[in-house]
Amino acid sequence: MNQRILAAFWLLAPAMLFGADSQWVLGQSTLSYHVSHPLHESVGVSHQARGKGVCHAGQCDFLIAAPVKSFDSGDSNRDLHMLQVTRGAQFPMVTVRVVLPEMELTSATIHCDPEIQFAGQTARYKQVPFQREVHGSEIRITGTIPATLSDFKIDPPSLLAVPVKNDIPVRVDMTWRPQ
Amino acid sequence: MFRNTFGNWFGSVRGLVVVCLFATLAPFLVAQTAETGTLMGKVVDASGAAVANAKVTAVSADTGQAQTATTGADGVYRFTLPPGNYRVKFEAAGFVSVEIPSTTVPASGAAVLDRRLEVGAQSNEQTTAKSPEKPAEPSMNDLGFPSDQTAGNAAEQARLDKRSHMLKIHQRLGLITAGALVATLVLSNGAAGKNSTASGRELHAAVGGLTAGLYMTTASFAIFAPKVPGTKTRGSIRLHKALAYIHGPGMILTPILGALAYDERNRGEKVHGIASAHGAVGTVTGIAYGAAMLSVVFKF
Repeated sequence: MNQRILAAFWLLAPAMLFGADSQWVLGQSTLSYHVSHPLHESVGVSHQARGKGVCHAGQCDFLIAAPVKSFDSGDSNRDLHMLQVTRGAQFPMVTVRVVLPEMELTSATIHCDPEIQFAGQTARYKQVPFQREVHGSEIRITGTIPATLSDFKIDPPSLLAVPVKNDIPVRVDMTWRPQ
Repeated sequence: MFRNTFGNWFGSVRGLVVVCLFATLAPFLVAQTAETGTLMGKVVDASGAAVANAKVTAVSADTGQAQTATTGADGVYRFTLPPGNYRVKFEAAGFVSVEIPSTTVPASGAAVLDRRLEVGAQSNEQTTAKSPEKPAEPSMNDLGFPSDQTAGNAAEQARLDKRSHMLKIHQRLGLITAGALVATLVLSNGAAGKNSTASGRELHAAVGGLTAGLYMTTASFAIFAPKVPGTKTRGSIRLHKALAYIHGPGMILTPILGALAYDERNRGEKVHGIASAHGAVGTVTGIAYGAAMLSVVFKF
């Protein structure tokens, strides 16, 4: 009998926990885009993303944003070209919105559909897997969004008349903490 | 001797002066255009059916100016707006209002923002924004970015566009110049030494003059490209720029020394004095130019 009560408690506990409202705030983060050119590769990194998550009635809504000009590839000329081709002065923020069931946050692998606004365009990605690690009260989320230049109608920049590849995978490493 | 030498030199590079004049003026011919964008989309209910007469309000994040549109029978709305960030609110009788904190309207083309509305007891904004049961979905305001960081700047974008456009021309002309430079160096075999001939010297001088003209044109597109204030030069572009202090003066000196050497050889004299440095200066210039190209090709 006691075992049945205990089992019922463990089954219902997550639902009870997630039934309550909760808010999350983004702590440390590293967002990086990867650009490939036949002559060399480059990576632009930003640590300036901010984010907030609101969970209510079993549904979570996360918003993450970063200034486009905060991405640093180590080369000022390349960064200015990136800012130009992505229309970063006109659309200075890249935002990611994710809506997912709160239960999903307990999975080791979270599948979600991020909606990205970037360069004046909106792109939606389906079932992108992110890895989740729990460190005390904080949750670390890592994964890669399979973004492409054409998703945002960006003309591939070229070096010596050779354009870069269309794929610009965006690596995400975020640590969220409850607010 | 000097009059003769420089007379020949000026005669041989008259075309070069015209090319350099073009080189100086060409970057100013680059033009930009003003742009407007479109924000459009379709409003549907939970079943996917079009919601007619829904009110859509777009508020500019830059100016605070609001514009409204109403969906047609097909649920479609459309705005013609200056490019930038907008807060968009969807309202319809019998539905819960929804506000999208930030969407961007491109300088050209259309941004599509479709929305599905949930049936609600009330169709006012209190339902979504101030309901005690449901907290508001996170918005850009919650993230605390300063407004100057989130506001679009069309003038700055135009500056970046012009800069990239000019540097793209700089890059392409630079490749063409590299080809001409290599040809000049190869043709120098017929212009100097035991195998030199008058026609070899003339051909070398002509291709060299073309190279110098192309070089000046290439350089001017980089020199006159708009600068972006507050940008500290970092990365391999620093080496690229530093090498210009070698190949720049070299590209001016080499033709002058070449003209002196050309004149001396045409008088039947052995190349002597400062003119004898023509080959060495040309070689150093070529190496510095090649290194400048490689500096942007390979990551250091």
